[in-house]
Order: sequence, then C-alpha cells, then structure tokens
Amino acid sequence: MIFASAATIEEALEAMADGATPIAGGTDLVVGARQGKAPLPTSLVSIDRVSGMSGIVQASDGTRVGALVTHGALMTDARVVGPYTALADAAALVGSPATRYVGTLGGNIMNASPAMDTGAPLVVFGALAELRCLSGARTLPVADLWTAPGVTSARSDELLVAVHLELRPSRSGSAYVRLEYRRAMEIAVVGAAASVVLEVDGTIATGRVALSAVAPTIIEVEGVAGMISGLPVEEAGSLVQEVASLQAVPISDLRGSDRYRRHTVGVMAKRALSAAARRAAGEVIGVPVNRAIGVGSES
Amino acid sequence: MTIQAPTFIRSDGPDKVTGTGRYTADLTAAGVLVAKFRYAEVTHARIVELDTSAARAMPGVFAVLTTDDVPDVLYGSIKDRRLFAKDVVRFEGEVVAAVAASDEATAERAVDAIVVRYEPIQAVADMEEALEPGAPLIHEEWETYEAPGVEREGNLASYTSLSRGDAGAGLAEADLVITSRYVADASHAVPIEPRAILAQWEGQKVTIWSSTQVPFPARDGVCETLGLPTNRVRVIVPHLGGGFGGKCGFHYEAHVAALSRAARRPVRLVFSRREEFIAPDRRREGMIVELTSGVRKDGTLTARKARVIVDNGAYAADSAGFPQLAAMHALGPYKVDNVEVEASAVYTNCQPSGSVRAPTAPQGCWAVESHTDELATAIGMDPVEFRKINTVDSGDVGVTGQLYEEIGLQECIDAAVAGIGSRHDLPPDEAVGVAVGWWPSFAMASGAYVKIDHDGKGVIVTGAQECGTGAVMTLPYLVAGELGMRPEDFELVYQDTSAAPFDAGASGSQTLFNNGRATVAAAREVASQLKDLAAQELEASTEDIVLADGKAHVAGDPASAVTIEWLAAIAAEGALLLGRGSNDPPEWPSMSGVSCVGDHGLGAWVAPQFSCHAVRVRLDRETGVVRVLDVSTAHDSGTIINSRGALGQVEGGVMMGIGQALTEGVTFDDEGRQLNPALLDYKLQTTADAPGIRTHFAQVPAAVGGPYGSKGIAEAPNVPTAAAISNAIAKLIGGPVRQLPMTAERVWLAMEEGAS
Repeated sequence: MIFASAATIEEALEAMADGATPIAGGTDLVVGARQGKAPLPTSLVSIDRVSGMSGIVQASDGTRVGALVTHGALMTDARVVGPYTALADAAALVGSPATRYVGTLGGNIMNASPAMDTGAPLVVFGALAELRCLSGARTLPVADLWTAPGVTSARSDELLVAVHLELRPSRSGSAYVRLEYRRAMEIAVVGAAASVVLEVDGTIATGRVALSAVAPTIIEVEGVAGMISGLPVEEAGSLVQEVASLQAVPISDLRGSDRYRRHTVGVMAKRALSAAARRAAGEVIGVPVNRAIGVGSES
Repeated sequence: MTIQAPTFIRSDGPDKVTGTGRYTADLTAAGVLVAKFRYAEVTHARIVELDTSAARAMPGVFAVLTTDDVPDVLYGSIKDRRLFAKDVVRFEGEVVAAVAASDEATAERAVDAIVVRYEPIQAVADMEEALEPGAPLIHEEWETYEAPGVEREGNLASYTSLSRGDAGAGLAEADLVITSRYVADASHAVPIEPRAILAQWEGQKVTIWSSTQVPFPARDGVCETLGLPTNRVRVIVPHLGGGFGGKCGFHYEAHVAALSRAARRPVRLVFSRREEFIAPDRRREGMIVELTSGVRKDGTLTARKARVIVDNGAYAADSAGFPQLAAMHALGPYKVDNVEVEASAVYTNCQPSGSVRAPTAPQGCWAVESHTDELATAIGMDPVEFRKINTVDSGDVGVTGQLYEEIGLQECIDAAVAGIGSRHDLPPDEAVGVAVGWWPSFAMASGAYVKIDHDGKGVIVTGAQECGTGAVMTLPYLVAGELGMRPEDFELVYQDTSAAPFDAGASGSQTLFNNGRATVAAAREVASQLKDLAAQELEASTEDIVLADGKAHVAGDPASAVTIEWLAAIAAEGALLLGRGSNDPPEWPSMSGVSCVGDHGLGAWVAPQFSCHAVRVRLDRETGVVRVLDVSTAHDSGTIINSRGALGQVEGGVMMGIGQALTEGVTFDDEGRQLNPALLDYKLQTTADAPGIRTHFAQVPAAVGGPYGSKGIAEAPNVPTAAAISNAIAKLIGGPVRQLPMTAERVWLAMEEGAS
C-alpha cells in the first residue's frame, strides 16, 4: 500500500493522477473495507491537511463550502445554519459525534450513497460542484455528479474541492427530514429536503424538493415549482406528498419495503416542505428538524 | 449485621474507564499464531469432499484441523454436535475446519484454500414447517443422541407440557374466550467485545484465556471434547467486555486449544463482528405463542390453554429446558386454576439458540401480557385493575401449585404504575402500557475462599465471574460486613478455574445469589478463627467476641479490644486465617397438583422474582415510528445489596428491552442465513434513544434466597419492557402488533390493516 499526505491541492492532484484515491475523514473507505464492501485502494492520498479546502467563504454571489468542511462544522456554522438550514439539518443527523467531526461534505458527496443525507439539501439549493484535475477545473450541478449507487461522473483524477451555493432570496427557508428508527448511528430509511420561497401573503412563490434513499441516486421531485407556486403551504404539502410518493422508485430491503418507503418518503417531503415554509416565515426551528418536530422529536 | 454497599466505586471500574484494563484480545504471547475458521456458509448439506492439503502446504500455516483431528465427541444439552462438522453441516456458522497461521492474511488465504464440496439437503428455516410430517430431518441420527430426560422426536428437539385443573371446563365457564397468536423474531446478545481466546500449552497442561461468561463450564467443555482431566485445563478470563448470555456455555476454547497443541505455539482467535453474529450457539430464540384464555365479566381468569414453539436452531446448546421456561412465561405470575400448556423446541437450519438474558422470557411475557390487555379490554376493565385481581400475592398458589410465601408483586404493580404518572390525560399520540413479569433465581453449587495475611489484609478467591454487572465487585462488601473490616481491606482473585473453587459463572443471575452465600460462609469461618484468637488474647469467651471497626472486642466492653492486624500477625505464625465456603444451594421447590411431561425442574422456582414495568410512548401515526418517552419499573428481587449495581441492571435491561420491542430482530432468509449480521442493520438502541427510567425496589427478603434474603437481578429487568411497550402501542392503534420486534413498518402495517 502507498500512503501519501498532500499539503496542497496540486500535490493531491498529482497523486491522484498517479492512481491514488483521496481520503479525508476515512469514515466510509475504512469502514467499507472492513465490512468487505470493497478492499482498501492500494494507493491512498490523505487530503485532510490540504490548505484551501476547509473554509466556508461568503461572496456577493453566494457561499463556497470547501470539500473538507466537516459535518460538525456544517451543523453549527452560522453561514450554513442561517441560509442553508436543510444542509445543517442533514449534517446533524450523520452517524455519531465522532463521524460528524471527522467526516467531510466532500466525502459524503463523492461516496455517492443513495441514502446520503447532505445530497438532497444540496440539490434543492441547486449546488454546484467544483472539480479540479491537473489540467484544469470544471463546475457542474451536484445532481449531475451521481450516476448510480456509489458511482459519480467525476474522473478518477478529478478532486472535488468545493461546493457553491447560490445566495438565498428573502422569505426563503429549507429543511431536511428523514425517517429513522433510532437517534444516533442511523442511516436514512428515506429522507426529503425542501427549499421554499414565500410570497408576502405567506403562499408559496417557489420551491424545490429532493429525496434520499428512494432511487439509485438522490432525486429531485420534478415539476414541484410549477405545481406549488401560489398555493397555501398546507395544500402544497399535500401535493408534494403525493407527487414525491409517485416519483419515488424505492427498493425493498432490510430497512423497509418499497411500499413503506414510497409512503413514508411522501410524508417526509410534506414535513420538509412545512418546516421549510415555517422557517421562511421567520420561525426558528432548531437543527436538526428531526429532533424539533415529527419523527423522534425531543419533547 | 448491616449491609454496607449503598454506593461505591467498584474495584475494576478505574481500569475499565481509563482504558488500562486488559481484555482477551489485548493479550499476546511469544510466537502467537492467528486462528481462523472455515464456516459452512451453506445451511444444510452433506460434505462430499473436504481437502485441506493445499492449506496445510502453505508457508506460514502451522496447523489445519477438521473433525478427523480431534476426538469424536458429541456434546450439548442434547448431545447433538461436535467441535467440527462431520458429514453434515446444519447452519451457516458451523465450523468445518480451523487454521493457525503466522498472520491474519496467511490464515485467511489458508481458510480459502480449504476445498469443501457439498451436496445440498433441503434446508428448513421455519419452525412450523420443521414440525410438519415429512419435513426434512435436521438430524437424521437424532435417535442415537444422548439426552436424558428430554422428550423428543425427529425435529422436535424438546417437548414439555404442563396441566392443572381442567382447561376445557374452565373455558366453558368463561363469559368470554379470546385466542391470540404472537410471533417473535430471534434476536442477539451483542456484547460490545466480540469474543477472543488465547491458548498456550505447557507440557500436558493448557492455559486458555477466554472472553467467556462461564469459565468453569467452558473448561468442562474443553475437557469433555478433548478428553482432558479438569486439572490440566486452566481457563482464565481477563476483563470481560459484556456477555448478556451470549458468552455463556462452551464455545471455541477447545478449537483454539487443539490448534495450539497441533501447532506447538500459542494461538489466538479474535472474532469479527460478523462472526459474533453468525457463529456462536447463543442467540435469543424466535418463538410462536398461541394463547386461549377464558375470562368472566368480573375479571376472573377461568382457564388458559397455550401452545408455544421455540426455535431451537440447528443444535441444542443449552436449550433443552427452554420449552418448560417458555411454558411458564405463557402462563405468567397469575392465579389460574385450569391450565394446559404445550411447548416445543424445534430444530431448524438457523443458528442455534441459547441463553441470552432470560431465555424465552421477554418474548413469552410480550405475548402473554399483550394477550392479557386484550382480555381486559374485551371486558371493559382497566388492565392494571385486571392484573391486580389476577396476579399472585403473598400466600397465593401459582399456576404450577407453588406457594408464594412473601412476595412483592402487588407492591411492584402499584409502584410502577404510580411512577409513570397519569395513564389517561395524555396527548392523542401518547399512551401508557403496563406489564408484569417473573423470572426464577437459580440455585447452583458455588465456592469461595477468604484469607487474611499477616498484615491484616485480605484476599477473596472466588470461582465467580464478573461479566460487568458488579456482582463480583460486591463480594468485598459482604466479607467486610462479616469481619467488621472495610471493603478496601480485600482484593479479589477471580475468574480463574485453577485458583478458585467451582462456580457456574455469570449466568442465570446467579453470581451474588450463590457465590455471595459461599463467600459469606468463607468469611464466617475466618470470623470464627478471629474470634477464637481474640478470646485467648482478651481472656474472654469466644461467644462474647464482636468484630467491628477493624477490631475484635468483648461484647459490652469496646475498650477491651485487639486489632485485626494484631490477630493476623499472631495467626501468621501458626493457624492461618483461612476460610472456605460452599454455598450449600437451597433446594428447588417442586410443582404440586400439576401433570407434566418433559420436566426439567423449571416448573417451580426458588426465590422467584417479580416485576412490573410501565412505559409511556409516542407514536408517529404517519410512519409507525414509536418512541419510548418514559419508563417506570418496580422489581421484587428480594433484598438489594448493591443499589447502584442493581439500578444499572434495571436500566440496562430496560434499554435491551426497548431494542427487542422496537428495532432488534434477526432476519433469516428461507434457508436460515442471517441477512443482518452487522450493527447498521441489526439496530441496537443507542444512548441517544434512552428515556428517563425510574426504579422502585420492593425489598421483600426472600425466605429461601441469596445472602440476606436477596434474589437474582440481572435478567429480570429484561423481561416485561417489550410487553409494556406493546400494550401502549395497542392502546394507540386499537389492538396489538402481533410480531416482535414491533418495527415502525409493522406498526404502520397494523394501522393500515386496521383501517382497511
């Protein structure tokens, strides 16, 4: 096994051009190897100390979140929790305190699990992924990255360095809700993220909904914006519930049957939309939503 | 005599908390080899070829063993299995061959290089299918197995019936008869420490360090299967990382010892989590419980008929007595004059069942207590009131004719219900469920020594095993109390079969119950030696000597005293301060007025424990997810000696119970392979899921019991939690969920079915 530690993006990219697999928090790669999912790659390049990839930077056109930002940072940093609350909701649900404080956003994205928690929030924010390789850089919507369970459209020499999030308009809010059977060390049975913008009168101006663990990749519910525009929140929620269930293509496995998943993902979508709208209206609902309302709530 | 252990720092605590304590997998030895097993992987097949020659020829491989390399010995509560599969494999985790190699990778390659060819035999994973006429036999040679006292035939591994009065007539007298069927999935013990074993030979003797809960039975298993006398096998247990019953019995100590002997090197086996899930013959049994009860409108139970099937799995590790235990739980701590129960353990091609924390009890209690709420609801009576009318109290006779002299079940019901608060003015998605449970104490032989050396410091040498409960850690308090000394004056030598007298190990909640008595007996011998010495020194009569505050003094004259140190120094020159104690186990009561087939002596219980749990849950109606918000428990486990330890047992038992109720279940495929042998999909409860838990101990001293009227405590708290949760869910959705665990999807399906 070859193990190198990169200090700069360039060093990481050089190692990757030579066939190395990048490793940051190591929460999936090592655990996966131990579980026999895939053997550890013969060449690894550690990127956890690469400079310039762990910051959250606000600019006039939005926010750039470095790929090395941990779930622990995402769930607490005001620059995320305020405008991109759904992403904080999702990060706060990942694994345990230990995994949240070493596991990174970039790792979660590139691991490309259909049950990933940060994916659906990124989709509803229209996030862009910034990929770098020795010969240049490209940017694409995160949704275009995932092509199948565990598979991305990135080439093996391309490194995800950051995610770009657009500025959120006023009267906007977001939430990520997932179905879980216990409150730590859990994986989404199904999950849903919603982002909404409200009109002054409290009806919905526009919104997006994306779903976890009901398809080979994270999927966006199609046609949501047109369908819910102008509707009161409750009515929009019912519609979204119905359409999310229809568009879901879940499998049956140990965590739930396809029928149960199809039903509950609709419930999650409705709840995410409702929580997003309440936040858009100025209500403070703590992160993660799962502990504040609905499934597994605290009180 | 005062009992002085309200709260204390247990002597193994700092080691465990700071990480300096050593567990079996932390041990090594010069030249140690790595052991690995080749498992069957298929669940029912005839071995047509087993070729280890390629593995044996590999560099770095020191030993490869199969059944041909060890004595041909059958063992178990029904003698139905061998160390290594011979001719036929019967479950996926059966050991076909074992390898000792220089390192992990070599051992793995060697295991892969073993050639095994199978001819499939039809597998049976379903209990009821296995009982059908013409079902494939799991053990074709079942008639040749030794199993004294076990009623069996073909796939029926063990059968028990209990009947009293006339159940048919009782049902005919009832105003209402209800029949229910409940099905519980299997579950696991899941100790945090996967098992590990290190074996090293010295001439004809072997020392085996093992993460077992029961060093003496483990030793005896080695002796039985390898043909060795007990004095040449020494089992030592370093710190144990939990067991919950999963590490009871004899497992792989003989495999590793045999590998070590063949390789002429120390050999170490460390299980992966997957192995811990699939291989040991100790998992909680799946059960089918069918109950028919008759009740009068005034709430009187007139009769109960029950049919219970217990999934024995492929081999009968210690499960021959399970049907009788299951029968007792199908009856519960109720007064019913007319009962008729049949219970069977049935062979399947699933992993063997074995003693996990109160075997058959949580599932049986869940079924019978859910059924009890159905009965109460059907006659419009409050379920708590129904239990108050029908459960046993002091002076009552139970279902098997046993007279309960002084018991605290009624106090338990009152206290648990009071502790949960209002059962009625609750939000629409919340409900309270209540259930009662019972569990025996187990009287077994047990021994200990106590010695005090010349400086007045003592050592307790005990056969008992500390599996984390704190039971062994409590022994110094008992000894100190007898000798008027401080607990910290004593150190413990424990879990070493060559150092200490016999104890059955951390099983059956028996440690303090039996070994406590033995240790107190040993301490009393030392007390009498000290008193004799003091009498000479103080020129008083032995009967007048009192041991207190580290001194011996003359009764009524504290100034006339001599220190224990002083006496110890005198004794060190002559007759040593040396006590030996055997617990002289109390006799088990017998059944009366009951006809019974397949009696394993478990139909009447010594020092029976009683309990009541009340839980408040919330249901998410759109998803079926249930959360337990609050738990109130009350336990009659007799006198409580170590209250902090006892509370720990109750709280841990409740958490395990919540897991069994809601999220923990083994999923088998049609051929008996486990589909979720990993911690992501076998869902234990986490600390984040823990509700508030309040506990009341009804301290009714046991007339016949452990030291100072104590009973067991470690298993009882695991009994009624799932049942109480079931009753709360039933209130919210209009009827019980008839499968355990009551997963979110099953609750949702029950609601869907109710709605349609």
